[in-house]
Amino acid sequence: MRFCVCLIAVTSLLGGCVTANVDEMTFDAPVAGMGEGTIVILGRRHAPDYDTEPDFIDCIGGHVSRGDTGISVIPERQFIDSLYPWFEPRTAPLSIESVDRLMALPSVADKLGELDLQYMIWIDGRTEDTNSSGSMTCGVGPTGAGCFGFGTWGTESEYEATIWNFGDGSEVGRMSAQTSGQSYMPAVVVPIPIIAPVQDTACESLGSQLLQYLSAES
Amino acid sequence: MDSTTLGRRAKSALALLCLMSLAACSSREVIVEGSFPTPVVDPLPVSVGVLFTKEFREHELVDDATGRGEASWRVSTGLAQVNFWSTLLPAFFQNVVFIENYEDLNTYDVDAVLIPEVTDVQYAIPLYTNVKVYEIWMRYQLSLVEPGQLKDEENQVIVTENAQAFTQWPLTAYGKTPTAFLQSDTDAVNEAAVMALRDAGANFITSFGRVPGVVAWVQKSQEAQ
Repeated sequence: MRFCVCLIAVTSLLGGCVTANVDEMTFDAPVAGMGEGTIVILGRRHAPDYDTEPDFIDCIGGHVSRGDTGISVIPERQFIDSLYPWFEPRTAPLSIESVDRLMALPSVADKLGELDLQYMIWIDGRTEDTNSSGSMTCGVGPTGAGCFGFGTWGTESEYEATIWNFGDGSEVGRMSAQTSGQSYMPAVVVPIPIIAPVQDTACESLGSQLLQYLSAES
Repeated sequence: MDSTTLGRRAKSALALLCLMSLAACSSREVIVEGSFPTPVVDPLPVSVGVLFTKEFREHELVDDATGRGEASWRVSTGLAQVNFWSTLLPAFFQNVVFIENYEDLNTYDVDAVLIPEVTDVQYAIPLYTNVKVYEIWMRYQLSLVEPGQLKDEENQVIVTENAQAFTQWPLTAYGKTPTAFLQSDTDAVNEAAVMALRDAGANFITSFGRVPGVVAWVQKSQEAQ
């Protein structure tokens, strides 16, 4: 039993290999960073077969706010609720020009004015498992339970961030991160997952790019 | 290990197997619940009564399993429907009265009574579609009725059966939620239903001004004030 616990603890420290590609096309970056200010990071949710994961949005927001304490990141759910129904999948603006139409509504303009947003960042993409192979057999007997076999699967992440400057009313850049990796699960009595941190790497990559653009501290 | 312990373990394993096989053909019940934000809108300057019928308050979707490995589903949306529309409508109209009985129709002077009705609810889970999202579709029929149309003077009750709406329109809503690790089917369906309700509100707010007869009714009500 103690051997199993040690084995799990050791293998949980192992991770599968991950490769990452990042792309960036930005302009009008704040010369000395945006300083003290407020941003919101939102996920695109209008595609029919996937949603940009809320926990990925939280991860990017956390990365940015940890990287520069002067930047205040409004939590996604809080922002969407405070401006209901204008940022639902059906109604969310797809371009910065659509925001001007929203600002024509006095109540929305007041609410956005209260929030004092400098940047609105949209993230579109997802993480998905691509292929899996191997086999594993698990059984329960009177003397105990156990598994035997080997499984492996690939994971790919692809995300794009679009940055809107709220002050200028313009789109100021796009960034993307593609990551992929292979995870493994050998099982000799106990299954030992060796997970490739594909989504975490994508969050790290995209978060660092955003921080470089927004902050002078990075 | 003695034979008593061995027997106990065998019984436990057998009980576990029985439970697992039962779970494969069990029924799933979802009483939809969630919190709904107040919409950010400039209220329309009209006075509206809102009538939630018994069918609306108690609305539920029942879908019986048709094959092995499938589960029966019962999705009760009534309570969430009432909570949601009770949050949305008072923000959208300047004055809203919830009509509970015949006396309310006589007591409150409203420009019209809004009667929402759920005409269809459909759901899809990854087991059926192979797409890794849970989905809910809802279809409503909304009616705006003159208060007088709902009064049965003789029996002093509200009657909706033969009421002639001066405008009636369908409203569709869609909600989805992606599959998530360690999230149960029932939690995911609940989340998709909450998203669908939010979408219904978004659709209602953005399309209300385009409903035939609504603009004329709003103007007429404003002139009457």
